[in-house]
Amino acid sequence: MNRYVVGVAGVAGVAVLAVGWLCGIFFMALATLLLLLALGGGYLAYRQYTLKFPASHASGGARSEGSTPSNSTRTSTKRTAEDSQSLARQMLDQGRYSLLLRPQIAQSIPPKFLQQAQDLLDEEMTLVPGGETILGRGVSTSTETPEYLDGRVVQVEGFYLDRYQVTNEQFHRFVEGGGYEQISLWDPEIVPALLEFVDQTGEPGPRFWMNGKYAHGQGKHPVVGVCWYEAAAYARWVGKRLPTDPEWVKSGSWPVPLPGARPIQRKFPWGDAFDQNRCNLWGCGRGATVPVDQFQDGMSVGGAHQLIGNVWEWTSSRFGAWQSGSTPLVLDASMRSLRGGAFDTYFETQSTCDFQSGDKAIARKRNVGFRCAIGICDLIPDESMQAEEAPAQVESYEELAEVTS
Amino acid sequence: MTKRVLVAMDSYRLAECAVPVSCYICGVDNNYNTELCRHCAAPLALSHQARTQGLRPQMVAVLGTAAAGKTVYLGMLLDMLTRQNGRVQVLARGAFSITLQQRTMMALSNCRFPEKTPNEPDRWNWVHCQAKINSKKNPMELIMPDMAGEAILEEIDHPNAYPAIHSFLEKCSAVILLADTDRIERGGAEQNYFLMKLITYLSEQDNRKVRGKSTRPVAIVYSKADRCEPCFDDPELYAREKTPNLWQQVQQRFTNYGFFASGVAGSVGFRDTPGEGPTAVPLRIEPRGIVEPFEWLVRKI
Repeated sequence: MNRYVVGVAGVAGVAVLAVGWLCGIFFMALATLLLLLALGGGYLAYRQYTLKFPASHASGGARSEGSTPSNSTRTSTKRTAEDSQSLARQMLDQGRYSLLLRPQIAQSIPPKFLQQAQDLLDEEMTLVPGGETILGRGVSTSTETPEYLDGRVVQVEGFYLDRYQVTNEQFHRFVEGGGYEQISLWDPEIVPALLEFVDQTGEPGPRFWMNGKYAHGQGKHPVVGVCWYEAAAYARWVGKRLPTDPEWVKSGSWPVPLPGARPIQRKFPWGDAFDQNRCNLWGCGRGATVPVDQFQDGMSVGGAHQLIGNVWEWTSSRFGAWQSGSTPLVLDASMRSLRGGAFDTYFETQSTCDFQSGDKAIARKRNVGFRCAIGICDLIPDESMQAEEAPAQVESYEELAEVTS
Repeated sequence: MTKRVLVAMDSYRLAECAVPVSCYICGVDNNYNTELCRHCAAPLALSHQARTQGLRPQMVAVLGTAAAGKTVYLGMLLDMLTRQNGRVQVLARGAFSITLQQRTMMALSNCRFPEKTPNEPDRWNWVHCQAKINSKKNPMELIMPDMAGEAILEEIDHPNAYPAIHSFLEKCSAVILLADTDRIERGGAEQNYFLMKLITYLSEQDNRKVRGKSTRPVAIVYSKADRCEPCFDDPELYAREKTPNLWQQVQQRFTNYGFFASGVAGSVGFRDTPGEGPTAVPLRIEPRGIVEPFEWLVRKI
């Protein structure tokens, strides 16, 4: 639209200039041209304003509609459609495609954008089917429990998990989009502490950024220096959530269900044997984070990258929820679960899919990042998946409560 | 009445017993086949190795209060230096030198801290190793014992209470002083005063002085700094602000000193053990700042 306006103004300007020149009234022609340019510029500025503040524009529009009801209704409908389109486009640009796929929103979005959102979902997230997984293996200190009976079987519903950890670039969109100022995105208990979530220069953002920006060349690296609350707020902003512990373990260990028996699950996403060439741990020798799309060989069966290594990942679960044994840990309520190991994790035994570490929810560490998830049931049904997806089942309400806590 | 008996003469045994072996740490003579020195309880294997290799190992002391992290620091350091080809590499001399590393790593990999080092010197772990540094042509022989913090304190308060510590500190070429950041952060002054005592003891014991200051290199390492990120950013500033007395003493008594921060556990929880109370449990192991003080030190020796 804008380019047509500019084009028309340009052609008109040139025509007026030519006619004026021919008629010998050059200055008059120049003044007319300037007038036309000013009109064009004003229109463009107005367009920009309406794009940036669609809500206020809509309400302002509603106020002026009283005088001409029939025309204004048509204009209003047209504008609303335009606004929803521009909003959808903006959300797609910001990587918030999953919001468009929510049943409440999807009905007001044109099919073209829905398809784009669906394509982005398929591209950036991996589908983990529902089923059983074993949690808390290796936690028990008792020597009486044989290894094949260690841990608890938990039922997980099908969900989508980000293929990659959230990058600096993605998190920057959240910061730029005013994520730290939108109180509704944050857990109520942390709102008073929001002012403390600043970077090294005092700007809102991850701890190790400067002036609200990440270091040069770190765009594709996972965002670090974010606490659990910042991770959760980002996830809400993009229309997702943090994965639960069982979900994270299931996506990495990819259990094979056996009829009448406990599922078989792997220690690492690629198998049971550790291989330091498939992940960024201490032994790999990098000593820092790497771009999230490296170590392709360490990909999980479902296609999630770097579940092991690079940075620890926050999950939504509390730390120690799966511990057992005679001497359990004295748990701090604010401790949240971390999974997967990081570039400085020394022991490979502490970077298996089963291993759970934890930290305070407000800890902003250099080796802790996150990835997001979303339940299948939270999105509009994907017709291409209908045949493959079996309905998820939960064994008991108690387990469901634990899984979703 | 005496009765004569015939005894087979093992001449080599007599010869061995006739030549005493002097302890490398305290210098007291011992029988050839004795395992630990009868005076200071240091392993005589150190003396045997020094004699067979024809090299005089340098001694590096790792000192700190009880539970400051000496065992974890030493064990982790040795494991890191033997595991990767970095700027500094370490080669253990004698199987006994690997015991400390083995015990520490076994405990840490199972999310436990190693057991407290006993006060008895005959139960301490000693490490004798060869350190290779990229920039230096010849490797260096080093002896590093893991001494109990309570024994160190006892020796400082009552010199010669522990001959092993007394002799070792007298001869050692460099010192790593561990300050427990966790306890400093909790507001306790214990670390400050203990380290001041140690610094006074070390500087007065040292005969190699220039303009009244000891030339022995000293690395002050803030251990458990993973619980205090600013300490990693600038350890010297941290020392000046949080342990001003220590900082002042170090400046006045030593010419070669450096401040460092280190951490081994990324996060710590607590387990309520019956009869023992809450014990700290490392929730994950991510070493940081372990090699730097050691590398700095061996370059200064």
